[in-house]
Amino acid sequence: MNARAAIAVESPPLPANSLWLLLGGFLGAVLLNAHHTALWCLPLALLAIAWRARGLRAPLRLPARFLRIGVALLLTLAVLASFHTLNGIDAGSSLLVAMATLKLSETSRRRDWLIILAAALFLLLAACLDGQALWRLPLYAAELWLLCTASYALGTDFEVARTATLLRRSGLSLAAALPFALLLFFFVPRLPGSFWVLPQRHEAFTGLGDEMSPGSISQLTQSGDAALRVRFDAAPPPAAERYWRGPVLHVFDGYTWRRQHAQVDRVPRLQFQGQAYSYAITLEPNQHNVLIALELPRGLPDELPNTFATFDYQLIAPAPSERAVSYRLQSYPQHRSLDPLSPAARRLDLQLPPNRNPRSAELAASLRQQAGSDVGLVDAVLEYLRRGGFTYTLEPPLLNLDSVDDLLFRTRAGFCGHYASAFVALMRAGGVPARVVTGYLGGSWNRYGGYLYITQADAHAWAEVWLEAQGWVRVDPTAVVAPGRLTQGLDELLPGAGGNGRGLMSSSWVVNAVQAWQGLNAWWQDEFIGFSFARQLALLERLGFRQHDLRAFALLLAASAGIWLALIAWGLRPRSRSPAGDGLSRSWRALERKLRRAAEPRAPHEGTMAYAERVGRARPELSSTLTALARRYARLRYGPAAGAAEFEQFQRAVRLLRVQPRRPRPH
Amino acid sequence: MATKSPMRSSGPFRFLSEPRAALAAALAHWARARQGDDTPPLTLQARRIYILPTGAGVAAAALLFVMLLAGMNYNNSLALLLCFMLCGVTLVSMHECHGMLSGLKLLRAEADDSYAGRLGELQLCFENPHSRARSALQLRAGGCLPGRFQLPPAATQLVRLKYQAGARGRQRIERLELSSTAPLGLFRAWTWLHLPLEAIVYPAPGGTRPLPVRSGDPRQGERRSRVGGEEEWAGLRPLQESDSPRSVAWKVYARGGPLLVAQYDAPAGMHRLLAFASLQSLPLEQRLSQLAQWVLDCERLGDTYRLDLPQQALPVGHGIAQQRACLEALALYGT
Repeated sequence: MNARAAIAVESPPLPANSLWLLLGGFLGAVLLNAHHTALWCLPLALLAIAWRARGLRAPLRLPARFLRIGVALLLTLAVLASFHTLNGIDAGSSLLVAMATLKLSETSRRRDWLIILAAALFLLLAACLDGQALWRLPLYAAELWLLCTASYALGTDFEVARTATLLRRSGLSLAAALPFALLLFFFVPRLPGSFWVLPQRHEAFTGLGDEMSPGSISQLTQSGDAALRVRFDAAPPPAAERYWRGPVLHVFDGYTWRRQHAQVDRVPRLQFQGQAYSYAITLEPNQHNVLIALELPRGLPDELPNTFATFDYQLIAPAPSERAVSYRLQSYPQHRSLDPLSPAARRLDLQLPPNRNPRSAELAASLRQQAGSDVGLVDAVLEYLRRGGFTYTLEPPLLNLDSVDDLLFRTRAGFCGHYASAFVALMRAGGVPARVVTGYLGGSWNRYGGYLYITQADAHAWAEVWLEAQGWVRVDPTAVVAPGRLTQGLDELLPGAGGNGRGLMSSSWVVNAVQAWQGLNAWWQDEFIGFSFARQLALLERLGFRQHDLRAFALLLAASAGIWLALIAWGLRPRSRSPAGDGLSRSWRALERKLRRAAEPRAPHEGTMAYAERVGRARPELSSTLTALARRYARLRYGPAAGAAEFEQFQRAVRLLRVQPRRPRPH
Repeated sequence: MATKSPMRSSGPFRFLSEPRAALAAALAHWARARQGDDTPPLTLQARRIYILPTGAGVAAAALLFVMLLAGMNYNNSLALLLCFMLCGVTLVSMHECHGMLSGLKLLRAEADDSYAGRLGELQLCFENPHSRARSALQLRAGGCLPGRFQLPPAATQLVRLKYQAGARGRQRIERLELSSTAPLGLFRAWTWLHLPLEAIVYPAPGGTRPLPVRSGDPRQGERRSRVGGEEEWAGLRPLQESDSPRSVAWKVYARGGPLLVAQYDAPAGMHRLLAFASLQSLPLEQRLSQLAQWVLDCERLGDTYRLDLPQQALPVGHGIAQQRACLEALALYGT
């Protein structure tokens, strides 16, 4: 007999429920990433998971090695073809899904399954990196629980535990880990800066853009997506002054307005007057690099370095933001330009395409003649819009290439973009420098969160004209066509507009619920997702650490983690199991407790009858009672099923028993 | 060789040639000096339980670090929280792993005798006095097949461990290692038990020499002793465990009586003499092997026999006690 061979350990098969849990966890991780991985990833993974799940029931033939290597190369190429890179969350998670799917085809040992587990955890991380909306949080938590349970099931490879037990254990473990995770969350310093370069994502966001072609839109989709949230230090400005300035459009080709990216002038000086408003803005991701601000901001936000102001008072961030950014500003709705308009800026804002919109040009010229002055022209054009039978609609007819002519003389219907475009074109034709400003107007007050909530549906366009006496002056032509637009939201102005169920929103409890949910989202966004190094420093200061150095972080972390570890150790301390048993056992133990005064306690190996006999020998006066009790106990325990009455009798007999203490032995 | 240790002997420069083994030996020495010898029953205290991450644990740490980097890189709160949650779960599992051993009771430990080169058995009885189940426990000793077991709350378990018997003689099981990687396999907690476990390793039975013929023994010829044989009818006695089925009085049993053994008196001296001296042509170990083989053969045949070793002559006999005495004498011959 070869003894060495006998020493070899054969590894037993993995418990089936651990593999089911793991496959489920992997499936969940793939689904959580389905929206941003390559299109082919989800069906591929689903097929592989179904195939592997079938293999848990019946033996499976795994594909040959060279085949797997070939498929791995193919899948890598497919990811490259889909994203043109392997860097970044989308490409990375697609590659992870592909490779883990492939790994599924060769999972047999515990190690292989652990790799699948690691891949699923990374996919969960990718999902967290990609989507941080509050509603996804329960999904992430459930997925984490599932994966944690799978790792508990896989952790020991030769024991089978019930799935319910595993779920309970991993749930307790996660609950215990939560305080520690929050400690690290608050006190691990968020070192600013990226360790590796991330590719820009190319996704279309709704909202403001770099250009505006009102004539090309036949139906303005009302998007309830958040655009920005504003928290004022004091009272918010009145509704008529809630103009949120975004991209300014200068260049017009007769149909489309575009931004002017070059700085044609230095930033003109402004004289700020009247009431100042200090506020913090949280700006959702968007596709332009303009930071939205209440008109007109003074200074630059401290939170975002490398931000600058342009000659037309836009605040420009270095790049469009992929995630929500927060910054503080101070704005003055009342202001005056101090510098004259530079020739370059005047040229830019008088520019009109030649030979386009001829009828508008004629109209502007005639109005100009009647009005005499720039101010008179503004009033005349507004008057024209007011009296010309123009209507406000979100479903305007399409316009031809001479969009201003088409609007003014044919369709006479449109939304803010149409009127701002037409107004600015008429101004320029009349010789008054003018430009289109896009941004947001208004916003709804969320009383749960205490902030102004501005959605993409609040997007607006208005005009600015240069008047020699006052400088740049805001004119909102939409206000004369639809006066209500200024003070009310779009919903009130256009009952049933969009037809996407917004009518339901009028019910007050729905409004309340929506506002509460928005408030919760805002809290989540501000307090949790937006938690930053600056906020950490503020937290430290509040905790009494005046000096912001890493030592304070280390001290806090070490102390709190130590306390947590001690608590965990205490929670997991060994606890003796009290002897289990039914009422009969409890009753018998009560008897034994009484007899402790009479004789030595019952030894573990001693039967109840023998014990009763022994105590009876030591205390003859108890002998007959004890024998009777022991017999009755045996009968109740081992005999034919006895009634409740007999058990109660036994209990009463035990209670009645009186045992005198042992008398000292006579010498 | 009197006492065998599973550890290899250590030279002064061993750390150069076998750094790992040298480190293990140094650790073992340190632990032994620190803990002292154990005698069951004993309770495993926290101070003698050691814990280190496993390979999977190191891999998990690397994974968590990459997750931390990713979360930091994207400055993503949710990803960081996920990473920290996983760190927390890992640390909780470390405590749980330590708790798998802490407070465990060892009630009894024994080593069964074995034949050289074969597998012997160690028997250890563990008790879990607590309300927490202990899982993935593994018991190992040098040259032993690891024994795996688990202990539900408030349970007792007898663990049988196969050990590899070495050369004949006394074999000490110097050190047992009780470990657990539960619950996640990321950490391994272990403790070393230095128990007074000693087994007697009999010579491996072997050899082709024919069994010596039955004969009388002139030295004991004058006295008749009652030993189990199959010669003269001597009466009936109750069945014992060591009796062969051939000796049962089946007729009595068939009539409704108890299981009895028909007993015969062997004429005194009619036994096989297994003499060390008769195997002079063989080397020592083969002689002992042949003698062990004869002892077993005699037992199988149900014969009485007597073992004759230089300076040690065992009485005539038959049965388990006789077999054990003979094999033990052979095992310890010359020590």
